[in-house]
Amino acid sequence: MLAALALLAAAVALGFAVGGVPLSLRELISGDGEAGRTARLIASLRLPRVLLASLVGGCLALAGAALQALLKNPLADPFLLGTSGGAAVGAAAAALAGASPLVSPAAAFVGAAGASVGIAALARRGGRLDLQRLLLAGLIANAFFSALLLGAFSVASGEAARSMLFWMMGSLSDATPMRVLALCPYAAVGLVVLAASASRLNLFVVGEENAAALGVDTERTKRIVFLSASLLTGAAVAFAGVIGFVGLLVPHAVRAVTGNDQRTLLPVSAVAGAALLVAADAVARSVVAPVELPIGAITAAIGAPLFAWLLLRTP
Amino acid sequence: MSDGALLVEARGLTASYGSSRALRGLDASVPAGEVVAVLGENGSGKSTLLKVLARVLSASGGTVLFAGRPLASMARRETAQRVAYVPQSVDLVFPIRSLDLVLQGRAPYAKGFSAEGPEDLRLAEEAMRACDVAHLAERDASALSGGERRRVFLARALAQRAECWLLDEPTAGLDPRHRLEFLETLRRVHAERRTTVLLVTHELAAASDLATRVLLLKDGRAIAEGPTDEVLTPEALRRAFGVAFARSSQLAAVGASLSEPPVSG
Repeated sequence: MLAALALLAAAVALGFAVGGVPLSLRELISGDGEAGRTARLIASLRLPRVLLASLVGGCLALAGAALQALLKNPLADPFLLGTSGGAAVGAAAAALAGASPLVSPAAAFVGAAGASVGIAALARRGGRLDLQRLLLAGLIANAFFSALLLGAFSVASGEAARSMLFWMMGSLSDATPMRVLALCPYAAVGLVVLAASASRLNLFVVGEENAAALGVDTERTKRIVFLSASLLTGAAVAFAGVIGFVGLLVPHAVRAVTGNDQRTLLPVSAVAGAALLVAADAVARSVVAPVELPIGAITAAIGAPLFAWLLLRTP
Repeated sequence: MSDGALLVEARGLTASYGSSRALRGLDASVPAGEVVAVLGENGSGKSTLLKVLARVLSASGGTVLFAGRPLASMARRETAQRVAYVPQSVDLVFPIRSLDLVLQGRAPYAKGFSAEGPEDLRLAEEAMRACDVAHLAERDASALSGGERRRVFLARALAQRAECWLLDEPTAGLDPRHRLEFLETLRRVHAERRTTVLLVTHELAAASDLATRVLLLKDGRAIAEGPTDEVLTPEALRRAFGVAFARSSQLAAVGASLSEPPVSG
């Protein structure tokens, strides 16, 4: 946990330091006069962005970690399970309808919630939430949402198309203090609920029957965890678009270090996810500054090779 | 619970997987402290019975009384404190330390958010010693051999301090030495604890050797139950398995099982 927090601190420092205009941290902290004022001004502009990146990264990694334990599947991820896609479709629909950009997060959230409920309904079997079917239903929904998004993108024009691209590729460029504040309650609720479910998720890691035989009300736990993960994902996508790989990769990397006790894994994943996204955003802003790369491309570019490496080193 | 009183009493129990019915009105009585071998051909409902008793699967009809109380009205945690279930096989996707797996047996006793205490750790380690798996405590359970993993799960059932164990084919797929070791461990632990055991098995030799009672299932119903010598008769076995055993002494022969060609007649 301390290592993850140190990582986050380093990423935050990086997040402040790099960008279109480089910023000296020494000037930021102790600088006097003109240089110090400029540094603090730039930092105050970058602050909401760094905060938004850490919240979004934390939400996605937490959701991924919880879903992997619940589904007993190391490939589970809010992105693969269709929740992200549903959110993007909601936002794209709002953009196509010519709605104000202010409505987009709400539309994305509705999309994520709708997708989650729909996927859960598809996965129901004899009154139970079937975890195998949940994964398959998510994959199907994800493919379907991709098709919808591409279709919508091809008929959209101008502003709507640009907005859609934002949702499809993910971006933190719209970070404002208001958005950061708006995301906070979702992140807090998700974190508290999932942390409270951690010891039950430890039993799910061995299997659903295992959890039931050890006294867990499995139907209730499945609903709570799936909805919390969807809430976290929907909120993250609503404010930053679809950013893949964070939810998949971070829990894996953390698990390799801390082991698979969800009571440790979930909070550490949240912090490590925050660190990863802050760092990825710093990279996205600075590599070809002043042009910003899409952050989803950065996480995928970092994530895919890292994931391959993790895959190769596990026996 | 004193020996002899009924610990488990099932009446008219039915259960299904989707549209296929696995239990079709099963009646069974399990006295406390006995080792009951649950026998029957594949698909006769043996595993389903254990799952219903472990509350992993909900019965669609009938009742189960546990120590005189309806199982369905018992809190899940309490059930897990009193009944330990060892499934036939567990597919471990994620690595997990064997000791952590055994500690899961303490989960039904966990209070709030607190982690396992020193007492839980002591019980887990004691259970692992009793099952000869103490040396595997730090090993990844997903990388253990079948026999080692079975014993780790048995240790977990032990750490669970349950008064009733449900063991689903615990010796299936084990080589003769591990099979014998497992049965020896089970015999010893049962002798010490007087735990009531429901043992699903296809090994008639182990059943006749270890079990004090037999429950014979066919097509989701019990067709015979009672003390081992009374129930394990050629006639009852012919009804249960559809093949004949010429002499009951065949059962006692080491390794006698249906995998050997039965004498037809």
